[in-house]
Amino acid sequence: MIHKHINLFLLATENLLRHRTKTVVVCLCIIAILSPFITAIAISEGIRAQSLVSVKEGADLYIIFDEFGRNAAIPLKYLDEIKKIFGVTKAIPRIIGRGFLQNKLAVIVGINKEDIPKSITCISGRIFENANEVVVGHELKEHFKLQIGDQFSMRGQQRKNFTVVGIFSSDSSIWGSSMILMSFNDAGELFGKQGVATDIQIHSLPGHNSEIATDLYDILQNEPYRLQDKQMIQLYFKKGFMLKEGIFTALYTVAFALGIPAILVASGFGLSERKREIGIMKATGWNTLEVLELISFEQLLISLLGATIAIVLSILWVKLFNGAFIAQFFIAEIPMLAKFTLPARFLPLPCLLSFFFAFILTMVGSIYSSWKASTESPVISMK
Amino acid sequence: MIKTDHLSKYYSSHSHHEVRAIRDITLEITKNSFVTFKGPSGSGKTTLLNVIGTLDRPTEGKVFMYDEDITSFSDIALSRLRREKIGFIFQDFHLIPRLTSWENVSYPLIPLGVDPKKRFERARLLLERVELGDRLDHIPEELSGGQQQRVAIARALVNDPEIIIADEPTSNIDEETGEHMLKLLTELKNNGATILVATHDARFEKVADRVFKLKNGRIE
Ligand SMILES: Nc1ncnc2c1ncn2[C@@H]1O[C@H](COP(=O)(O)OP(=O)(O)OP(=O)(O)O)[C@@H](O)[C@H]1O
Ligand SMILES: [Mg+2]
Repeated sequence: MIHKHINLFLLATENLLRHRTKTVVVCLCIIAILSPFITAIAISEGIRAQSLVSVKEGADLYIIFDEFGRNAAIPLKYLDEIKKIFGVTKAIPRIIGRGFLQNKLAVIVGINKEDIPKSITCISGRIFENANEVVVGHELKEHFKLQIGDQFSMRGQQRKNFTVVGIFSSDSSIWGSSMILMSFNDAGELFGKQGVATDIQIHSLPGHNSEIATDLYDILQNEPYRLQDKQMIQLYFKKGFMLKEGIFTALYTVAFALGIPAILVASGFGLSERKREIGIMKATGWNTLEVLELISFEQLLISLLGATIAIVLSILWVKLFNGAFIAQFFIAEIPMLAKFTLPARFLPLPCLLSFFFAFILTMVGSIYSSWKASTESPVISMK
Repeated sequence: MIKTDHLSKYYSSHSHHEVRAIRDITLEITKNSFVTFKGPSGSGKTTLLNVIGTLDRPTEGKVFMYDEDITSFSDIALSRLRREKIGFIFQDFHLIPRLTSWENVSYPLIPLGVDPKKRFERARLLLERVELGDRLDHIPEELSGGQQQRVAIARALVNDPEIIIADEPTSNIDEETGEHMLKLLTELKNNGATILVATHDARFEKVADRVFKLKNGRIE
């Protein structure tokens, strides 16, 4: 009896072609609802993955100083003692600050060359070797048309001249796009503070964090220090992220509330014609189950079609337009078209869910009326 | 073969005025007979045939077919009965507008799992039988009333029904085609079918085994 189902499936396909306008309208509604959703999920997944990777590859503990609720400088005099704590494999001082390159905000990262994480790749040119050499982010490069070998000067606490020796490619992480990476000493000079760091990253042997924390207390007990571990940082990321997702969700709900009735109305198009058709089918020997199977096949096909197009469009949206209009919700302060490649991950689950969602919506729009038309006396439906 | 027992169908209309379309009809139709129903417009012919043909449920009374009370049948069982035993020719054709003649004729075969090639062959055969072999790919609106009528007839025959119910099958066709139609139905009767026809056409009375006269919803 498989032939029966094949016949019904083929007929469903033909019906979609026969009622082209309706098919197109329903598809458009599905696409309008699903595309932004799929894109947003993909971007959000991409950013989440990237952030978590960078946290994971990052240090096990972070030391910062906190004065009046702000980050304060950490004197490097403690560094040697910290390095000697049992279980500490590496202690990396960094200077992270903000500065203006002309009118453009840049994130300045000062770190010793040997401490640069291996995950920093995607560079054309090279990492800095000598004093006053820097690697700049993709967005800055675009904005100032910078090239390797170019020189620029920058004013922090004092004016300093730099030479560009490397450029982060647009594929590197978002955080790199407006970054100027330089040696720890250069950053110190730029900000006019020698012998201090803004944070110290500690890499440790597994399972030693609590002992290290105790030892750190002995060393730093008279300082306003704060210790953060990986889990906390991860939590931070997730929290901030969920907030942004929340904003998107709220706006999206509005669009949703308009889109759903549209789908329902569109899938109910030509209802009276449909009703007559079902009456005729019933009168000539079809039974209710067969009618409903046909209708379900139609909805299945149309939601598959709509969802597939929506997914393809989302991929194009991310690849060609870099998620314009949607990415803003997730990464604050980026211009309409982000200057870096958005990290996006199209996972199977959201795609599958989108399809189910479309299927359920179109079914809601059609199955009840079809069922009614089908269980009514044929004479009444055929009217 | 077919029996009705005090069959009535009332319509309650908007004006709260109840229309008694058929009232208290008890009759018996034997297997392989040719019966006609006549009566003025509005006398209840269509209503009666619809109720007997399982397309509508009666308000009161019962219909028996093959000694079974079909008024108690489930929706699925009724569909099965229509599929296997009954061919219905409607007064106003009831063709599906977007389908061609052959698709309309073979539509009932789709849920039977018949493949498209065989469906087409079967439809072509039947349409040639009603002299529409040259209109296989026309949709209803491209056909005259009489031609649509004939497509409807071909569709009614697609399942080789034992019971053929025709509601004014000649009202839209010319004399000659009507003659042809009559011949077709007699042929079907001779092949063992039971035929029920509602008609004003006097020619049918000549071949009918029995003529029921309806007036105001009652058998006279
Ligand atoms: N759906 C309905 N609602 C209300 N009244 C109806 C309905 N269908 C039929 N009737 C009424 O039932 C009566 C019988 O109608 P029916 O169609 O059975 O007559 P008929 O003998 O077939 O007439 P004709 O020769 O014109 O086809 C008529 O008075 C009609 O107005
Ligand atoms: Mg009538």
